[in-house]
Amino acid sequence: MKQVIRIGPFHPLQEEPESFLLTVEGERVIDVDAKLGYVHKGLERLCQERTYDMIPIILERICGICSVTHSVCFCHAVEDIHGVEIPPRARYIRTILGEMERLHSHLLWVGLAGHFIGYNTVFMWAWKYREPVCDAFEWLTGHRQNASLLKVGGVRRDLPVDSFPAVLKVLDELEGQTKMLIGAVLDDPVLAARLKGIGVLTPEQVLDWGVVGPTARASGVKTDARKDEPYAAYAELDWNLIVQPEGDVFAKAVVRLLEILESIRILRQAIAKFPPGEIDCGPLHVPQGEGIGRYEAPRGEDIHYVRSNGTNMPSRVKVRAPSFVNIPSYRASCIGGTISDVTITLAACDPCYSCTERLAAVRRDDGGPPLSFDDLVRLGREKTRAIAREMGRKPDLGLEIRP
Amino acid sequence: MDAECLGNRLTEKFADRVEWTARSKKRLYLRVDPAVLEEVFGALRSELPQIRLCTSTGLDTRGGVEVFHHLSPYGLPLVVTLKIEGRKPLPSLPSLGRIHSAAIFIEREISDFLGVDFVGHPDPRRLLKARAFGDDVHPLRRDFDVREFKRGIGEEPEF
Repeated sequence: MKQVIRIGPFHPLQEEPESFLLTVEGERVIDVDAKLGYVHKGLERLCQERTYDMIPIILERICGICSVTHSVCFCHAVEDIHGVEIPPRARYIRTILGEMERLHSHLLWVGLAGHFIGYNTVFMWAWKYREPVCDAFEWLTGHRQNASLLKVGGVRRDLPVDSFPAVLKVLDELEGQTKMLIGAVLDDPVLAARLKGIGVLTPEQVLDWGVVGPTARASGVKTDARKDEPYAAYAELDWNLIVQPEGDVFAKAVVRLLEILESIRILRQAIAKFPPGEIDCGPLHVPQGEGIGRYEAPRGEDIHYVRSNGTNMPSRVKVRAPSFVNIPSYRASCIGGTISDVTITLAACDPCYSCTERLAAVRRDDGGPPLSFDDLVRLGREKTRAIAREMGRKPDLGLEIRP
Repeated sequence: MDAECLGNRLTEKFADRVEWTARSKKRLYLRVDPAVLEEVFGALRSELPQIRLCTSTGLDTRGGVEVFHHLSPYGLPLVVTLKIEGRKPLPSLPSLGRIHSAAIFIEREISDFLGVDFVGHPDPRRLLKARAFGDDVHPLRRDFDVREFKRGIGEEPEF
């Protein structure tokens, strides 16, 4: 007998607003339907009424994790219209920011995946290791997440070179911790029994659903915007594309874990080769035309289309986050599995609903007005100082960058 | 294969039903007669077997609604944009979702926001547009009136 099980509209485990309708026959899932739209606020329309200089800051707020992703991708699209080459130092800064973001995003997913299958030790390890990465992001940019550093034609502010030794120390520690985590996860027979052979996506299904990122690479498809259409400094650095052939949830975990080590490798090289020079090519007039930007976000290829009518505001900005194409592939990966496998299969593509619907909002619990930017900076710094003190670290390291 | 080479091959096959411009070796823009959209997609698949739809953009113009299908092959620095246009007031275009699953979600989104009827779409339901917007209200159309929309706020959301 067919039954319909509803998960949502607030997902009890992923804690995000989406609704899944599972049609089941006994324990077997025979259909999956995703309902979205609970947090859509028309960000693309908003971008049509803002200048090119303002839009990267708006797009940073699409997602709490991929703050660099959408800004850089928009800049790529506008730079494609203009045909401008950005200075080498700006390219390296974009590379460093992008890889720092990939590090903390992958660690976040590893922790959540552990939590979803009831392995909370992995959750606590991964999130503990993620914290110093966010701290290092703050030392580099003045903020743990939305640094407002990107602009068309380069970056707004330089990175503080004197914080590089501290960042490299964090990377050294993280490398050892990640290797331990990889050993603990990949050699665990219980995790292998739980994750191998479930939520399988074949290469043909990947192509049909247009799946991107680690979700596609875990099915043996060699795709990565950093290799396919190298941007920033990736063509000058030595790193490997991680691909696994199996297509199951275990392979997706392996890809993300090994990519953490590759990101550390990229960051070390980018810091070692960090070039001198300008960080911005000055004010640009965006001519009439259209451009497409591609960027490899932690969840896969991000793509933006921008159309310019020659004024200081675009006439169309189209944002396609990786989760928008990864989420529909649930129909391929969940059908045929059991209800108990659905939770981790749904989580395996690292879905982000704010990206999918293009909004992130901050609201106070007491119903008061939203926190201002200064409030958020102050609260973030207070917390970082307190944690640094507790951990016996130099509390003001990096905080002197932006007094 | 670069953009110019691909543009020439498609012109050989479809003559005046496609019209191409290449802004660089990596970006090909093709104006396509909607009647041959599926054939053009099939020809691209035979030239580049790993090509897939990245996303589509809907754009309201004076006389109609344009839809740009952005396609890219895995592993290559190339984006091919197929441009098709439907005339107002009820723009109707062939669905790519009928033959390529990656188009299903984005065509639903364009239907929501720009009111395009994708003929042959396998699942033409709402995706992102809230119930407060009527079926004939399309917020990315130039004639969309925010005040009219605000009158609809307050309805219970559909779960």
